[in-house]
Amino acid sequence: MTIFEQLRGAIAATLKVPPDSITERTRDEDLASWDSLGHINLMMTLEQTFDLALEVEDFEKLRSVPAMIEYLKGQGIG
Amino acid sequence: MRKSQNQFESLLTARSRSELRSRVGGSGVKVTLPQAQQLVAHARSLEPAVQTLRLGIVHTYTSDLLDPWLELAAALQGLDLQTYHAPYGLSPHEAEPHSGLVTHKPDVTLLLLRREDLHPELAKPLVRFDRAQQETIAAEALERLRDVVGRFRAQKVGQIVLTILPPALSSELGIYDAQSERSEHAWWASLKARIGQYLRESSQASLFLDLDDVLEQVGRSTFFDPRLWYSARFPFGAEAAREIARRVIGIGAVIKLPRAKVIVLDADNTLWGGIIGEDGIHGIALGPDYPGNAYLDFQRRLLDFQQRGFILALCSKNNPADVDQVLKEHPHQLLRDEHFAARRVNWQPKSSNLQALAEELNLGLDSFVFIDDSDHECAAVRQALPQVEVIQAPSQPVQLPGCLDAVARLEVLSLTTEDLVKTELYAQERRRRESKEQAEQGGGDSRDYLLSLGMKMSVGLNDVSHLARLAQLTKKTNQFTLTTRRYDEQQVQEFIRATDWLVAHFSLADTFGDSGIVGLALIHIATPERAELDSFLMSCRVIGREAESAFLHTLLRRLAEAGVKEVVASYIPTPKNVLVENFLPEQDFEKCADGSYRRDLVKTPPRAESYFPITVEVSPGS
Repeated sequence: MTIFEQLRGAIAATLKVPPDSITERTRDEDLASWDSLGHINLMMTLEQTFDLALEVEDFEKLRSVPAMIEYLKGQGIG
Repeated sequence: MRKSQNQFESLLTARSRSELRSRVGGSGVKVTLPQAQQLVAHARSLEPAVQTLRLGIVHTYTSDLLDPWLELAAALQGLDLQTYHAPYGLSPHEAEPHSGLVTHKPDVTLLLLRREDLHPELAKPLVRFDRAQQETIAAEALERLRDVVGRFRAQKVGQIVLTILPPALSSELGIYDAQSERSEHAWWASLKARIGQYLRESSQASLFLDLDDVLEQVGRSTFFDPRLWYSARFPFGAEAAREIARRVIGIGAVIKLPRAKVIVLDADNTLWGGIIGEDGIHGIALGPDYPGNAYLDFQRRLLDFQQRGFILALCSKNNPADVDQVLKEHPHQLLRDEHFAARRVNWQPKSSNLQALAEELNLGLDSFVFIDDSDHECAAVRQALPQVEVIQAPSQPVQLPGCLDAVARLEVLSLTTEDLVKTELYAQERRRRESKEQAEQGGGDSRDYLLSLGMKMSVGLNDVSHLARLAQLTKKTNQFTLTTRRYDEQQVQEFIRATDWLVAHFSLADTFGDSGIVGLALIHIATPERAELDSFLMSCRVIGREAESAFLHTLLRRLAEAGVKEVVASYIPTPKNVLVENFLPEQDFEKCADGSYRRDLVKTPPRAESYFPITVEVSPGS
């Protein structure tokens, strides 16, 4: 599974949206359930799924799929 | 694949919701948010929800992030969860008649408060105050809490569950706190005890859910996620959120699902290690050393459940004499003959034995929790008797003592004196049954037998001192009940206060012991001449002694003396109350065209006390 596919499954389950509604360019404003609470749930999901420890400062930077992929690559994942 | 992933995948092979719940509860597997959603989907695919649980949350910190965990806990219990989050803050408007909360009609209202909501000084260090000043703050905090809980209690908001968030940091004086005369811990422990006392004595259907206990269980560094707390005002780490949600939904399960009443235990590899029939009394593991000490601790835990009001029964495939020998002679066996209300030790299938136990105890199978170590026995009982909650005893002895701690239906929201002595009451009943069998073998008739019991009935009228027990009776009684209407303590209290209602209860004593309060009638005096029997119910523990008729006619006589000319009643059939199908006609009620029943007190006066083998004493309300 590519890193995007893993991410898509995790985001879809957390925000309760169909996986198809998430592309490699999706960002927070594209999905109604990606609001401030949804975002915090996503941060938890990201940590648990990829076994990371995010800083509060990272939360704001990770509001889109491309930003997440870039971050994960920076962590040596994918 | 990682170990945790494997463990998680194995959860998804559960074939029933109860099996899934039992596995998730006992596994200790950490669950991520997407996995929680997978579990919810799996639980829902196994069986549809059996009940809706309406939850209202009033909060002074972020509560929405609890939602996925609340959903998980609810799905595992078979509850369809409808949650309302009040606007942020402790606004008095939420406790008004048309508020969002009251309109939501919650079954459970969860109050998520912080210490400083009880007193503004608690936002600053407490230890700057001396003991006397701390006492003043405690008294004022309690007063504030009474006001808050009282306002919500005055509305129909269901069961109130009060929580106070522990501080995010450890005690103010650090390791010296325990020794200081200004100890923050000691102050809080004492205030908590007073909050508990207040709720127990003065506020119906209100429970203090102690988050300190969750903190102890998961540890402070797991309980709090400081990133979420400081950035989003949500205090809990995932594990704590899941555990708190589990406890809150557990309270909902106790309220909405059939009451658990009986814990039925397998013996070999459940109460002791090994197989008594093969290993013998000296070969089984039970005692101070591993693994016998784990079985000993489990037995001790079972006695805790007995103190909560659950009765214990034994169901084992063994030679009866072998099990008897352990109960009587094993030096370390804690559970003795007198701790079991009933036993089935034989080679019959366990499902038949469970049915026989249900008949003997006069309790429904949906009040049974069955514990067995064998995959095969657990699967067979789940298959044959899906209404029985089956918990598989863990194969690792060290996991055994805590294996029932996450079973929601083994929690209690109140305790009555009857609960504390329940097994003793069932044991009395067993002796009574034996005595009856002896009398019948001796050729005596049943009236002689009943007279020989020397029964005395105490009837209490409009008595507020037993609210918890009276409400409990409406909730727990399924068989001997005409209408199966459930009421909470607050509703029972309202009936007692209302001048046009009569609330009567009875207890029954005989030569074998006192039953405690076992019967209840709720009568609405609709007009001075016409009364309606809203509820009439009795615990099956005292069935077969004419207590139900003696009680009814005592009340009918009082109504007739007060000028009531007719009593209207109804029988609402349920799958469980066929026992009372003919009760009303037997008491000279006539069936009307609309299906209700009517009894004319003038044409057919109530029966006299001497008609029954029971002496009746009536005490008017306190």
